[in-house]
Amino acid sequence: MPFSSLLMRDLRELARDPWLLSLVSWIPVLLFVLMLQMFSQEIPRELPIGVVDLDKSNIARDLSRHYQASPTLEVLASFPDLQTGAAALRSGDISALAVIPADLGKDVMLGRPCQVTVFVNDQFLLIGKIIGSALLQAHTTFNAQIETGRNLFGVTPLIELAVSRAMVTTTQVTPLFNLNVNYAQFLVSAILPAIWQILMIVTTILSLAASRRQRTLPGWLGATPGRCLFARFFLLATLFWLQGAAFLTAMYVWLGWPMHGSWPLVLSAQLLTAWASVAAGSLFFFVTGKVETSLSLAASYAAPALAFMGVTFPVTDMTLPARIWRSFLPVSHYVEVQFAQVNYGAAIESAAPQLLALVLFGLPLLLVFVLAHRSLGREGVAP
Amino acid sequence: MSWWNLLCHELRAIFGNRSILLTVLGGVVFYSFLYPLPYSQQVPREQKVVVVNLDGSQLSRKLERMVDATPQVELYDRAQSIEEAEQLFFSRGLAGILVIPENFYRDLLLGRSPTLSYAGDGSYILVYSTVLEGMLGAGGTLAAEVKVTRMVMSGQAMALAAEQYSAIRLNIRPAFNETMGYVTYIVPAVFVLILHQTLLIGAGLLGGGQNARMAAGHDGYWCQASPLALLVIRALLFTAIYWPLSLYYFGWCFDYYAIPHHADPAELQLLLLPFLLSAATLGICIGALLPRPELATLIVLLTSIPLVFGAGFVWPRMAIPAPITTILDVVPVVPAINGFLRLNQMGAEFSAVMPMWKQLWWCTGGYGLLAWLLLCRRQRLGRSDTGETASTPRSATTADS
Repeated sequence: MPFSSLLMRDLRELARDPWLLSLVSWIPVLLFVLMLQMFSQEIPRELPIGVVDLDKSNIARDLSRHYQASPTLEVLASFPDLQTGAAALRSGDISALAVIPADLGKDVMLGRPCQVTVFVNDQFLLIGKIIGSALLQAHTTFNAQIETGRNLFGVTPLIELAVSRAMVTTTQVTPLFNLNVNYAQFLVSAILPAIWQILMIVTTILSLAASRRQRTLPGWLGATPGRCLFARFFLLATLFWLQGAAFLTAMYVWLGWPMHGSWPLVLSAQLLTAWASVAAGSLFFFVTGKVETSLSLAASYAAPALAFMGVTFPVTDMTLPARIWRSFLPVSHYVEVQFAQVNYGAAIESAAPQLLALVLFGLPLLLVFVLAHRSLGREGVAP
Repeated sequence: MSWWNLLCHELRAIFGNRSILLTVLGGVVFYSFLYPLPYSQQVPREQKVVVVNLDGSQLSRKLERMVDATPQVELYDRAQSIEEAEQLFFSRGLAGILVIPENFYRDLLLGRSPTLSYAGDGSYILVYSTVLEGMLGAGGTLAAEVKVTRMVMSGQAMALAAEQYSAIRLNIRPAFNETMGYVTYIVPAVFVLILHQTLLIGAGLLGGGQNARMAAGHDGYWCQASPLALLVIRALLFTAIYWPLSLYYFGWCFDYYAIPHHADPAELQLLLLPFLLSAATLGICIGALLPRPELATLIVLLTSIPLVFGAGFVWPRMAIPAPITTILDVVPVVPAINGFLRLNQMGAEFSAVMPMWKQLWWCTGGYGLLAWLLLCRRQRLGRSDTGETASTPRSATTADS
């Protein structure tokens, strides 16, 4: 049978199975859109905090208004004492609790040292960090105001000198490649490849299982197992490649997120990733020979991939076992290429190690052909 | 069929099924080691940065050393210009750049505020905040020292100056997760998700497998038993299997990873009960709906990542569009994660997790009812199928075609 008609046969078979058809059509779209929608706010705003004002002076009220003025923070409640405030923090109603000590106003006026303690809920670490930096910002400007006022009062009548005495150095912080500190963009650009890899591996397994269920292995692979398998892998990898191109287009064309690198390079990395995932999925299938078991293995292989990708937690701080496990996941190599290209616009040759790693997934693919041949031999003995 | 008989059949069906055992027992144990693996260092340290010192004064070199001394940042290299620093940044994969401006020391002495520039790689959240924490901390300390020196020079007593360099100091304390570690952050929530997902797969594999065998014309104990008895026994059985597994997670694993836990054991179990029951009933629903067992794994696997990020511990719930949170709220794991985090990690009173507790009972009731209806339907279909094949083979063939 010519290669093109093998492809057509596989494509028709794919379209007949409602589950497989969904897996290559609306399910990826739904998942991608869902994740994009989930992070559509991009920068968290108005995170709830509470204030325990034990002072009730003008300055204390000013400070809490300063917190309220930050776009990131929202002073949700003012508590009369520490106990009620702490209870609200523990129950998760507020994400941080600022305690303004008694006599704060008096101390500030008299120039005595005083401090505001803020308890930040770092169980929700990302939210905690965002709140922490917003608080620091609000506080720095508030302090500068007070000290400038104080300097104008006693030290110097020159406003510029008063400011510079209050703020010895000024700081300029530049988040490179991410000017708005828009975490969502970066999370989503890693989450989508992780979901993509899960989709690829399960679709591969289900597609092989469907063929075996409907036609048995000898009936499907017949006399030319290598060609039939290759046709199937070719079809799947191409479909997956289209999915990959679709989410890339959604992020960097449709949503207009900045993309500084080479499209052909990222797309080639995607093609290799698609083939590598097909290799992983089919290896699970032919090693176990059972669809449920191979899916269970696929679940433990692909579901935690996001944690190993190095986007949420840096690779340099992972232990050796974690880095070894990581190197077995195609998507972790892919995401390095994607990040280097999209964010840094890195030189093309810098992607060579990752591309080579992806090419190495050709070895399990070869193994798949051998295994398929063997299981064909086993099943072929019967009638 | 008596309840006792049914229980024996169910036990045999679960423990005789290799896939279920692999997922439920193997999966739960395997994940308990795999998931915390990448985070085992807890906090990123010694991120490499490059410094561009355009000043060259003694004070600027002191700042360099102070930055290098922080645990967060390691001074990897020096560059002569910002362009050179950029090149180094790309070629060595560094995490940040510190620029000390020309005439930094002179401007300080003259009382102008020189600007220190910090740049961090914003594409990696944790790296960025770590680098900035280190560099801003060192810069702030230096500024405070300069301020104190200046106050002393203008006649203040040293002790007074050291206390008064800032009008109001800000003291930010991490309330829970005091080490701000990543294992403590991710693992307590993800473990709840793992319990939930593997339970769903287990119950789904069982139900889906029985559906597939029914479709193949096999008749089993599940066709004779009353749907209500089947539902109750299966839900209780999965709850019973998952109880020790949950205790393994909340007990041994939390101790092993040194995750602080505050909940009273009795209260923890009180929350565990509706969580496991609601997950089991949802799993039975999924199992009753699916024609083949492997589809359960498929569905659960595909929903894992949306559930992690929708549960509200990574991305704030109020930042997620309301239609999505409404849908997520009917999945037991979402109220469960929020409940367990509050109760066990944040030490909330049980009254504070009442909304989640009630939500879980609502889920149990809702999915229980749905599962009962689905099981009734399945049995009716099963009976009519087998009935027809037995009595009139012809009608069965027409139904097939």
